[in-house]
Amino acid sequence: GFCRILTVNFVMNVAKSGYRVFSANSSAACTELAKKITERLGVELGKSVVFQESNSETRVDVKESVRGQTIFIIQTIPRDVNTAIMELLVMAYALKTSCAKNIIGVIPYFPYSKQCKMRKRGSIVCKLLASMLAKAGLTHIITMDLHQKEIQGFFSFPVDNLRASPFLIQYIQEEIPDYRNAIIVAKSPAAAKRAQSYAERLRLGLAVIHGEAQCSESDMADGRHSPPCVRNTTGHTGLELPLMMAKEKPPITVVGDVGGRIAIIVDDIVDDVGDFVAAAEILKERGAYKIYIMATHGLLSADAPRLIEESAIDEVVVTNTVPHEVQKLQCPKIKTVDVSMILAEAIRRIHNGESMAYLFRNITVDD
Amino acid sequence: MPNIKIFSGSSHPDLSQKIADRLGLELGKVVTKKFSNQETCVEIGESVRGEDVYIVQSGCGEINDNLMELLIMINACKIASASRVTAVIPCFPYARQDKKDKGFFDIPVDNLYAEPAVLKWIKENIPEWKNCIIVSPDAGGAKRVTSIADRLNVDFALIHKERKKANEVDRMVLVGDVTDRVAILVDDMADTCGTICHAADKLISAGATKVYAILTHGIFSGPAISRINNACFEAVVVTNTIPQEEKMKHCPKIQVIDISMILAEAIRRTHNGESVSYLFSHVPL
Repeated sequence: GFCRILTVNFVMNVAKSGYRVFSANSSAACTELAKKITERLGVELGKSVVFQESNSETRVDVKESVRGQTIFIIQTIPRDVNTAIMELLVMAYALKTSCAKNIIGVIPYFPYSKQCKMRKRGSIVCKLLASMLAKAGLTHIITMDLHQKEIQGFFSFPVDNLRASPFLIQYIQEEIPDYRNAIIVAKSPAAAKRAQSYAERLRLGLAVIHGEAQCSESDMADGRHSPPCVRNTTGHTGLELPLMMAKEKPPITVVGDVGGRIAIIVDDIVDDVGDFVAAAEILKERGAYKIYIMATHGLLSADAPRLIEESAIDEVVVTNTVPHEVQKLQCPKIKTVDVSMILAEAIRRIHNGESMAYLFRNITVDD
Repeated sequence: MPNIKIFSGSSHPDLSQKIADRLGLELGKVVTKKFSNQETCVEIGESVRGEDVYIVQSGCGEINDNLMELLIMINACKIASASRVTAVIPCFPYARQDKKDKGFFDIPVDNLYAEPAVLKWIKENIPEWKNCIIVSPDAGGAKRVTSIADRLNVDFALIHKERKKANEVDRMVLVGDVTDRVAILVDDMADTCGTICHAADKLISAGATKVYAILTHGIFSGPAISRINNACFEAVVVTNTIPQEEKMKHCPKIQVIDISMILAEAIRRTHNGESVSYLFSHVPL
């Protein structure tokens, strides 16, 4: 009896094998980040083939044994969102049925995170996606700057929500010469908490832009929300309108003094840039002499590059969670900050069973 | 019919409309679109509370987009308190990577057959049908082909691939006699069409007078259309599980069998709690 127990423990320790890192993206632009991460970890990317067949069905072939191993799948989300999701699901399922022990999705930008609330007769796609990922075999997710932190509650497994702010703050301190004369700006009251957390760490002032300048999607909430909406703008302008029946919206205004300062607008996602452009206009009017946009995820959809190029914005700084090389070619104002270091470190710590607390040491509650 | 709603995804609105017409219903109001970041957005435009909902979406075109759209629509209907949600998927995607057998699903699956509609088309459109020969382009389709041959009371043949050595091209061997016969190739899918075009050549050189191809799902991806145009088919016949209008413009040999009545009848029977197995051997009028 005693000998048997010893033997079992010994076998378990020996069997704690290494880990493998795969990329489930089919396009080369998307695998860039995976390559950077594996270089930092000093490992080879796992051998697999991911492609779309001629009838546009996704095909994934894992070319090595994964039995009993911990597998990390790095998936970046390009324009073709639904295909990227399918690639991830198919690879996860392939690994699950090949007896991988743990399957950890590294999804720096989590898609459909803006569809995380009930809107009329819509679907909470984010919750649907969370269920699908669990069903496909994922046991853990590493992501960055989730659009709403509460999304972590949609998952039945652990979610590590890393932050890009230390990298963006470092960029501000190192690349903006006059940064001590800057002011952090929230482009809407919803972004104020995040802006405040940057302002605190940089010891700078805060300004908030308020009011409607552009027409948003007519997306009236009709009382189906649970709990009932309060008289606030919530989420992104353009996705939800305030519930107040009175159509009088205050004209766009800046609360806080930006005269003679560098304005740094911070947000989590830069997608449609209409409201960023409008914000830059008003900030210029109020005396800001330089305007930066700092955001984690640079989706830069539609004709964002052209609009940014033509606007009063001086620089848009995003991380490499979302591939945006094409947009950079069209708009030299776009700059990239590399966050592969923290993603690689998260992978290393999870595999070694070490604490992740170090990665969150400079993060405030509102970030 | 009370308490039934039919919604269409964006993959095949034409078929959805045909199905609704046959049932004497209007399609339900739904808005499907994509945000500028290409994320799919679905909004059901009418109440589905307590309704028996059917969502028609075929696995064709941009499959992952259409699949995601279907999942989101199903999810939206469930959250909006639909009493039951049934997905009507004429061409089921990823069918060659997994088998679409009942055992692979946790929910009821009705796998309908195009066979009755195919038999009807053959009798109505091929004058020499009584003396034709049904051919399978591979050994795996033997059961499908013998089923049709038996119902028409005609002979069957099959083509199988003989692989001599590892790096040699497969040789196609015809098993059965097609001399002076009209040959009808039958298969479930036409994707790149390499196999059926080779098969047609084989049949002509083995003495067949004409070659027809009848395939349930006309995917026609990659070089399929140009291959068919250059091959010796009398006609290539597919059902409308997948939209074919665009492809027919580039390929006059393609003809379409409408199967909307089979799907409509399946929906009607499911809704009324009647047996669906009648449809396995009969075409509703």
